[in-house]
Amino acid sequence: MKRGTSSALTMTLGIAAFLSLTATVVVGLTLPKTIEQGDYSKLIAIHPGIAWASYVALGVTALASALWLWPRTRSITYDLLAGASAEVAVVFTSLTLITGSIWGRPTWGVWWVWDARLTLSALMLALLLGYLALRRVPAESDVRARRAAVAAMLAVLVVPVNHFAVTWWRTLHQGRSLTQLTPENDLDGSFIFAMVLGFLAMTLVYAWLTVHRLRVARLEESLVDEDLELALEARRREAVLT
Amino acid sequence: MATRTFDRRRLRLGIVIAIVCGAMAFLVLKGLGDATTFYRDADEVVAKRDELGTKRFRLQGIVQPGSVRDAGADVEFVVEYHCATVPVRHEGTRPSLFKDGIPVVLEGAFASRTSNVFESDRILVRHTEEYRTKESQKAEATENERCRT
Repeated sequence: MKRGTSSALTMTLGIAAFLSLTATVVVGLTLPKTIEQGDYSKLIAIHPGIAWASYVALGVTALASALWLWPRTRSITYDLLAGASAEVAVVFTSLTLITGSIWGRPTWGVWWVWDARLTLSALMLALLLGYLALRRVPAESDVRARRAAVAAMLAVLVVPVNHFAVTWWRTLHQGRSLTQLTPENDLDGSFIFAMVLGFLAMTLVYAWLTVHRLRVARLEESLVDEDLELALEARRREAVLT
Repeated sequence: MATRTFDRRRLRLGIVIAIVCGAMAFLVLKGLGDATTFYRDADEVVAKRDELGTKRFRLQGIVQPGSVRDAGADVEFVVEYHCATVPVRHEGTRPSLFKDGIPVVLEGAFASRTSNVFESDRILVRHTEEYRTKESQKAEATENERCRT
Protein backbone atom coordinates (compact mmCIF):
# COMPACT_ATOMS: atom_id res chain seq x y z
CA MET A 1 0.00 0.00 0.00
CA LYS A 2 1.27 3.45 -0.90
CA ARG A 3 2.73 5.21 2.15
CA GLY A 4 3.16 8.71 0.78
CA THR A 5 0.70 11.37 -0.26
CA SER A 6 2.47 12.88 -3.25
CA SER A 7 1.61 12.22 -6.85
CA ALA A 8 1.73 13.85 -10.25
CA LEU A 9 -1.30 15.92 -9.22
CA THR A 10 0.24 17.27 -6.03
CA MET A 11 3.54 17.98 -7.74
CA THR A 12 1.77 19.94 -10.46
CA LEU A 13 -0.36 21.80 -7.94
CA GLY A 14 2.65 22.43 -5.74
CA ILE A 15 4.77 23.90 -8.52
CA ALA A 16 1.89 25.99 -9.82
CA ALA A 17 1.15 27.23 -6.29
CA PHE A 18 4.79 28.09 -5.65
CA LEU A 19 5.21 29.94 -8.94
CA SER A 20 1.99 31.92 -8.64
CA LEU A 21 2.71 32.75 -4.99
CA THR A 22 6.17 34.01 -5.92
CA ALA A 23 4.70 36.05 -8.76
CA THR A 24 2.10 37.51 -6.38
CA VAL A 25 4.74 38.55 -3.85
CA VAL A 26 6.93 40.12 -6.54
CA VAL A 27 4.02 41.98 -8.12
CA GLY A 28 2.86 43.07 -4.67
CA LEU A 29 6.23 44.45 -3.67
CA THR A 30 6.49 46.44 -6.89
CA LEU A 31 3.11 48.15 -6.52
CA PRO A 32 3.32 51.95 -6.33
CA LYS A 33 2.52 53.89 -3.19
CA THR A 34 -1.04 55.16 -2.91
CA ILE A 35 -1.95 58.61 -1.68
CA GLU A 36 -3.91 57.44 1.33
CA GLN A 37 -2.05 54.34 2.46
CA GLY A 38 1.50 54.78 1.19
CA ASP A 39 3.28 51.46 1.10
CA TYR A 40 0.63 49.57 3.07
CA SER A 41 -1.64 49.12 0.06
CA LYS A 42 0.82 46.45 -1.12
CA LEU A 43 -0.92 44.01 1.23
CA ILE A 44 -3.79 43.93 -1.26
CA ALA A 45 -1.75 41.32 -3.10
CA ILE A 46 -2.15 38.72 -0.36
CA HIS A 47 -4.81 39.64 2.17
CA PRO A 48 -7.95 39.45 -0.06
CA GLY A 49 -6.59 36.26 -1.67
CA ILE A 50 -6.12 34.59 1.71
CA ALA A 51 -9.65 35.58 2.71
CA TRP A 52 -11.00 34.27 -0.59
CA ALA A 53 -9.22 30.93 -0.03
CA SER A 54 -10.80 30.64 3.43
CA TYR A 55 -14.24 31.08 1.83
CA VAL A 56 -13.41 28.42 -0.79
CA ALA A 57 -12.20 26.09 1.97
CA LEU A 58 -15.36 26.38 4.04
CA GLY A 59 -17.41 26.13 0.85
CA VAL A 60 -15.73 22.85 -0.08
CA THR A 61 -16.34 21.55 3.45
CA ALA A 62 -20.04 22.34 3.06
CA LEU A 63 -20.22 20.86 -0.43
CA ALA A 64 -18.48 17.65 0.64
CA SER A 65 -20.83 17.47 3.62
CA ALA A 66 -23.84 17.80 1.34
CA LEU A 67 -22.51 15.05 -0.90
CA TRP A 68 -22.05 12.82 2.11
CA LEU A 69 -25.56 13.55 3.41
CA TRP A 70 -27.13 12.69 0.04
CA PRO A 71 -27.53 8.90 0.18
CA ARG A 72 -26.78 8.42 -3.49
CA THR A 73 -23.36 10.05 -3.23
CA ARG A 74 -22.48 9.02 0.30
CA SER A 75 -18.84 7.99 0.61
CA ILE A 76 -16.33 8.18 3.41
CA THR A 77 -14.04 10.21 1.15
CA TYR A 78 -16.47 13.15 1.27
CA ASP A 79 -16.52 13.07 5.06
CA LEU A 80 -12.72 13.05 5.15
CA LEU A 81 -12.58 15.84 2.55
CA ALA A 82 -14.91 17.97 4.66
CA GLY A 83 -12.59 17.57 7.63
CA ALA A 84 -9.42 18.18 5.63
CA SER A 85 -10.78 21.31 3.99
CA ALA A 86 -11.94 22.64 7.35
CA GLU A 87 -8.45 22.32 8.81
CA VAL A 88 -6.99 24.26 5.89
CA ALA A 89 -9.82 26.79 6.33
CA VAL A 90 -8.64 27.42 9.89
CA VAL A 91 -5.16 28.20 8.56
CA PHE A 92 -6.44 30.65 5.97
CA THR A 93 -9.00 32.30 8.26
CA SER A 94 -6.35 32.86 10.92
CA LEU A 95 -3.97 34.29 8.33
CA THR A 96 -6.76 36.58 7.10
CA LEU A 97 -7.16 38.03 10.57
CA ILE A 98 -3.39 38.31 11.09
CA THR A 99 -2.60 39.99 7.76
CA GLY A 100 -5.62 42.22 8.25
CA SER A 101 -4.38 43.37 11.65
CA ILE A 102 -0.90 43.96 10.29
CA TRP A 103 -2.45 46.22 7.67
CA GLY A 104 -4.95 47.87 10.03
CA ARG A 105 -2.49 49.01 12.71
CA PRO A 106 -0.64 51.56 10.55
CA THR A 107 -3.56 52.45 8.26
CA TRP A 108 -6.62 52.61 10.48
CA GLY A 109 -4.59 53.21 13.61
CA VAL A 110 -5.81 50.11 15.45
CA TRP A 111 -5.15 46.34 15.43
CA TRP A 112 -8.85 45.48 15.63
CA VAL A 113 -12.39 46.86 15.59
CA TRP A 114 -15.68 45.05 16.08
CA ASP A 115 -17.30 46.07 12.83
CA ALA A 116 -19.49 43.63 10.90
CA ARG A 117 -16.72 42.33 8.61
CA LEU A 118 -14.16 41.64 11.32
CA THR A 119 -16.75 40.31 13.76
CA LEU A 120 -18.10 37.85 11.18
CA SER A 121 -14.58 36.76 10.25
CA ALA A 122 -13.80 36.05 13.90
CA LEU A 123 -17.12 34.19 14.14
CA MET A 124 -16.13 32.12 11.10
CA LEU A 125 -12.91 31.06 12.84
CA ALA A 126 -14.84 30.11 15.98
CA LEU A 127 -17.33 28.08 13.93
CA LEU A 128 -14.52 26.25 12.15
CA LEU A 129 -12.82 25.37 15.45
CA GLY A 130 -16.17 24.22 16.82
CA TYR A 131 -16.70 22.06 13.74
CA LEU A 132 -13.29 20.42 14.15
CA ALA A 133 -14.01 19.80 17.84
CA LEU A 134 -17.35 18.25 16.91
CA ARG A 135 -15.60 15.84 14.55
CA ARG A 136 -13.60 14.51 17.49
CA VAL A 137 -16.56 13.76 19.77
CA PRO A 138 -16.58 9.98 20.09
CA ALA A 139 -19.47 8.23 18.37
CA GLU A 140 -20.25 5.71 15.65
CA SER A 141 -18.46 6.91 12.53
CA ASP A 142 -21.76 7.38 10.68
CA VAL A 143 -23.24 9.41 13.52
CA ARG A 144 -20.09 11.53 13.75
CA ALA A 145 -20.09 12.16 10.03
CA ARG A 146 -23.77 13.13 9.99
CA ARG A 147 -23.40 15.55 12.91
CA ALA A 148 -20.37 17.18 11.32
CA ALA A 149 -22.07 17.39 7.92
CA VAL A 150 -25.11 19.19 9.32
CA ALA A 151 -22.89 21.52 11.34
CA ALA A 152 -20.84 22.38 8.24
CA MET A 153 -23.91 23.21 6.19
CA LEU A 154 -25.05 25.62 8.88
CA ALA A 155 -21.59 27.13 9.42
CA VAL A 156 -21.12 27.91 5.71
CA LEU A 157 -23.96 30.46 5.91
CA VAL A 158 -21.49 32.88 7.48
CA VAL A 159 -19.59 33.08 4.17
CA PRO A 160 -22.16 34.93 2.01
CA VAL A 161 -23.20 37.10 4.96
CA ASN A 162 -19.56 38.07 5.57
CA HIS A 163 -18.96 38.72 1.87
CA PHE A 164 -21.91 41.09 1.60
CA ALA A 165 -21.50 42.57 5.07
CA VAL A 166 -19.50 45.50 3.68
CA THR A 167 -22.33 46.29 1.25
CA TRP A 168 -25.34 45.65 3.50
CA TRP A 169 -24.01 47.43 6.56
CA ARG A 170 -21.75 50.30 7.43
CA THR A 171 -18.31 48.96 8.24
CA LEU A 172 -14.85 50.37 8.80
CA HIS A 173 -13.52 47.68 6.48
CA GLN A 174 -13.52 48.73 2.85
CA GLY A 175 -16.15 47.71 0.35
CA ARG A 176 -15.67 45.33 -2.54
CA SER A 177 -12.85 46.29 -4.89
CA LEU A 178 -13.85 44.36 -8.00
CA THR A 179 -17.05 46.37 -8.28
CA GLN A 180 -14.84 49.43 -8.81
CA LEU A 181 -13.75 48.16 -12.21
CA THR A 182 -15.83 50.51 -14.34
CA PRO A 183 -14.62 52.61 -17.31
CA GLU A 184 -15.36 55.88 -15.48
CA ASN A 185 -13.07 55.07 -12.61
CA ASP A 186 -9.56 56.32 -13.13
CA LEU A 187 -7.89 53.82 -10.82
CA ASP A 188 -4.51 52.21 -11.00
CA GLY A 189 -5.36 48.77 -12.44
CA SER A 190 -2.16 47.19 -11.16
CA PHE A 191 -3.74 46.91 -7.71
CA ILE A 192 -6.67 44.91 -8.96
CA PHE A 193 -4.30 42.77 -11.02
CA ALA A 194 -2.20 42.02 -7.94
CA MET A 195 -5.32 41.16 -5.98
CA VAL A 196 -6.66 38.75 -8.61
CA LEU A 197 -3.23 37.13 -8.96
CA GLY A 198 -3.35 36.65 -5.20
CA PHE A 199 -6.75 34.95 -5.53
CA LEU A 200 -5.26 32.48 -7.99
CA ALA A 201 -2.12 31.79 -5.96
CA MET A 202 -3.98 31.25 -2.68
CA THR A 203 -6.53 28.98 -4.32
CA LEU A 204 -3.68 26.80 -5.64
CA VAL A 205 -2.02 26.74 -2.22
CA TYR A 206 -5.36 25.75 -0.69
CA ALA A 207 -5.84 22.93 -3.23
CA TRP A 208 -2.32 21.61 -2.72
CA LEU A 209 -2.68 21.57 1.09
CA THR A 210 -6.13 19.99 0.99
CA VAL A 211 -5.19 17.16 -1.38
CA HIS A 212 -2.27 16.22 0.85
CA ARG A 213 -4.38 16.45 4.02
CA LEU A 214 -7.18 14.37 2.49
CA ARG A 215 -4.72 11.68 1.49
CA VAL A 216 -3.25 11.60 4.98
CA ALA A 217 -6.78 11.13 6.33
CA ARG A 218 -7.41 8.28 3.92
CA LEU A 219 -4.17 6.62 4.92
CA GLU A 220 -5.22 6.93 8.57
CA GLU A 221 -8.54 5.25 7.72
CA SER A 222 -6.88 2.37 5.93
CA LEU A 223 -4.47 1.95 8.83
CA VAL A 224 -7.45 1.62 11.16
CA ASP A 225 -8.87 -1.04 8.85
CA GLU A 226 -5.49 -2.77 8.67
CA ASP A 227 -5.14 -2.76 12.45
CA LEU A 228 -8.61 -4.23 12.76
CA GLU A 229 -7.77 -6.98 10.28
CA LEU A 230 -4.54 -7.82 12.14
CA ALA A 231 -6.37 -7.94 15.47
CA LEU A 232 -9.06 -10.22 14.04
CA GLU A 233 -6.38 -12.51 12.59
CA ALA A 234 -4.63 -12.70 15.96
CA ARG A 235 -7.90 -13.63 17.69
CA ARG A 236 -8.69 -16.25 15.07
CA ARG A 237 -5.26 -17.82 15.55
CA GLU A 238 -5.78 -17.82 19.31
CA ALA A 239 -9.16 -19.50 18.87
CA VAL A 240 -7.60 -22.26 16.74
CA LEU A 241 -4.83 -22.96 19.26
CA THR A 242 -7.14 -23.21 22.33
CA MET B 1 -44.87 1.10 11.36
CA ALA B 2 -41.40 1.53 12.81
CA THR B 3 -40.21 3.55 9.78
CA ARG B 4 -43.15 5.95 10.01
CA THR B 5 -42.44 6.80 13.67
CA PHE B 6 -38.76 7.16 12.82
CA ASP B 7 -39.55 9.61 9.97
CA ARG B 8 -41.88 11.62 12.18
CA ARG B 9 -39.20 11.92 14.85
CA ARG B 10 -36.74 13.06 12.24
CA LEU B 11 -39.18 15.64 10.94
CA ARG B 12 -39.84 16.99 14.42
CA LEU B 13 -36.09 17.17 15.11
CA GLY B 14 -35.61 18.97 11.82
CA ILE B 15 -38.30 21.51 12.67
CA VAL B 16 -36.84 22.12 16.13
CA ILE B 17 -33.37 22.64 14.67
CA ALA B 18 -34.76 25.01 12.05
CA ILE B 19 -36.58 27.04 14.70
CA VAL B 20 -33.51 27.19 16.94
CA CYS B 21 -31.35 28.30 14.00
CA GLY B 22 -33.90 30.89 12.99
CA ALA B 23 -33.97 32.24 16.53
CA MET B 24 -30.17 32.35 16.70
CA ALA B 25 -29.96 34.09 13.35
CA PHE B 26 -32.51 36.67 14.48
CA LEU B 27 -30.57 37.29 17.70
CA VAL B 28 -27.27 37.56 15.89
CA LEU B 29 -28.59 40.03 13.33
CA LYS B 30 -30.34 42.06 16.02
CA GLY B 31 -27.29 41.96 18.26
CA LEU B 32 -25.06 42.96 15.40
CA GLY B 33 -27.30 46.05 15.51
CA ASP B 34 -24.73 48.56 16.60
CA ALA B 35 -21.90 46.74 14.92
CA THR B 36 -23.83 47.05 11.66
CA THR B 37 -23.89 50.82 12.02
CA PHE B 38 -20.26 51.16 12.81
CA TYR B 39 -20.28 54.93 12.43
CA ARG B 40 -22.63 57.81 11.69
CA ASP B 41 -21.80 60.40 9.07
CA ALA B 42 -21.55 64.06 10.07
CA ASP B 43 -24.73 65.09 8.22
CA GLU B 44 -26.66 62.28 9.93
CA VAL B 45 -25.28 63.36 13.30
CA VAL B 46 -26.28 67.00 12.80
CA ALA B 47 -29.79 65.91 11.82
CA LYS B 48 -30.12 63.57 14.79
CA ARG B 49 -28.36 65.82 17.32
CA ASP B 50 -31.19 65.78 19.89
CA GLU B 51 -31.68 62.02 19.66
CA LEU B 52 -27.98 61.39 20.20
CA GLY B 53 -27.68 63.66 23.24
CA THR B 54 -24.56 62.72 25.17
CA LYS B 55 -24.57 59.08 24.04
CA ARG B 56 -21.22 57.65 23.03
CA PHE B 57 -20.97 56.84 19.31
CA ARG B 58 -18.68 57.04 16.31
CA LEU B 59 -18.66 60.09 14.07
CA GLN B 60 -17.37 59.94 10.50
CA GLY B 61 -16.33 62.91 8.42
CA ILE B 62 -13.56 64.42 6.35
CA VAL B 63 -11.01 66.59 8.13
CA GLN B 64 -11.61 70.09 6.81
CA PRO B 65 -8.33 71.38 5.37
CA GLY B 66 -6.87 74.17 7.46
CA SER B 67 -9.08 73.46 10.47
CA VAL B 68 -6.51 71.49 12.49
CA ARG B 69 -5.33 73.45 15.53
CA ASP B 70 -3.40 72.41 18.62
CA ALA B 71 -5.10 73.39 21.89
CA GLY B 72 -2.76 72.46 24.71
CA ALA B 73 -2.70 68.67 25.04
CA ASP B 74 -5.75 68.37 22.80
CA VAL B 75 -6.21 69.00 19.09
CA GLU B 76 -9.17 70.78 17.53
CA PHE B 77 -10.45 70.42 13.99
CA VAL B 78 -13.64 70.30 11.98
CA VAL B 79 -15.04 67.32 10.12
CA GLU B 80 -17.47 67.69 7.27
CA TYR B 81 -19.65 65.35 5.27
CA HIS B 82 -22.31 66.19 2.67
CA CYS B 83 -22.30 69.86 3.60
CA ALA B 84 -22.65 69.30 7.34
CA THR B 85 -19.82 70.21 9.70
CA VAL B 86 -19.07 69.19 13.25
CA PRO B 87 -16.32 70.78 15.32
CA VAL B 88 -14.21 68.27 17.21
CA ARG B 89 -11.91 68.37 20.20
CA HIS B 90 -9.70 65.32 20.43
CA GLU B 91 -7.82 64.19 23.50
CA GLY B 92 -5.13 61.60 23.09
CA THR B 93 -2.88 60.25 20.36
CA ARG B 94 -3.42 60.64 16.66
CA PRO B 95 -2.75 57.95 14.04
CA SER B 96 0.32 58.62 11.93
CA LEU B 97 -1.79 58.99 8.76
CA PHE B 98 -3.96 61.75 10.27
CA LYS B 99 -3.94 64.90 8.16
CA ASP B 100 -6.08 67.38 6.22
CA GLY B 101 -8.67 66.10 3.79
CA ILE B 102 -8.82 62.47 4.91
CA PRO B 103 -11.93 60.63 6.13
CA VAL B 104 -11.77 59.77 9.82
CA VAL B 105 -13.95 57.92 12.29
CA LEU B 106 -13.99 59.45 15.79
CA GLU B 107 -15.11 57.68 18.95
CA GLY B 108 -16.58 59.89 21.63
CA ALA B 109 -19.64 61.94 22.46
CA PHE B 110 -21.00 65.47 22.65
CA ALA B 111 -19.93 67.02 25.96
CA SER B 112 -23.47 68.11 26.85
CA ARG B 113 -26.90 68.36 25.28
CA THR B 114 -26.29 71.97 24.31
CA SER B 115 -22.66 71.70 23.21
CA ASN B 116 -22.05 71.25 19.50
CA VAL B 117 -18.42 70.20 19.96
CA PHE B 118 -17.77 66.49 19.63
CA GLU B 119 -15.23 65.30 22.19
CA SER B 120 -13.34 62.28 20.99
CA ASP B 121 -10.72 60.06 22.54
CA ARG B 122 -9.97 57.80 19.59
CA ILE B 123 -9.33 58.52 15.91
CA LEU B 124 -9.51 55.85 13.23
CA VAL B 125 -8.61 56.62 9.66
CA ARG B 126 -11.15 55.35 7.15
CA HIS B 127 -9.98 53.92 3.85
CA THR B 128 -11.96 53.25 0.71
CA GLU B 129 -11.54 50.39 -1.70
CA GLU B 130 -10.15 52.71 -4.33
CA TYR B 131 -6.46 52.86 -5.00
CA ARG B 132 -5.19 56.23 -6.21
CA THR B 133 -1.60 56.94 -6.98
CA LYS B 134 -1.68 60.45 -8.41
CA GLU B 135 -2.11 63.60 -6.34
CA SER B 136 -4.50 64.85 -9.02
CA GLN B 137 -6.89 62.07 -8.17
CA LYS B 138 -6.93 62.99 -4.51
CA ALA B 139 -9.60 65.70 -4.73
CA GLU B 140 -11.70 63.32 -6.77
CA ALA B 141 -11.56 60.79 -3.95
CA THR B 142 -13.71 62.80 -1.59
CA GLU B 143 -15.68 64.71 -4.23
CA ASN B 144 -18.91 62.85 -3.68
CA GLU B 145 -18.71 63.31 0.03
CA ARG B 146 -17.92 67.01 0.22
CA CYS B 147 -20.11 70.00 -0.22
CA ARG B 148 -21.10 71.13 -3.65
CA THR B 149 -21.84 74.83 -3.43
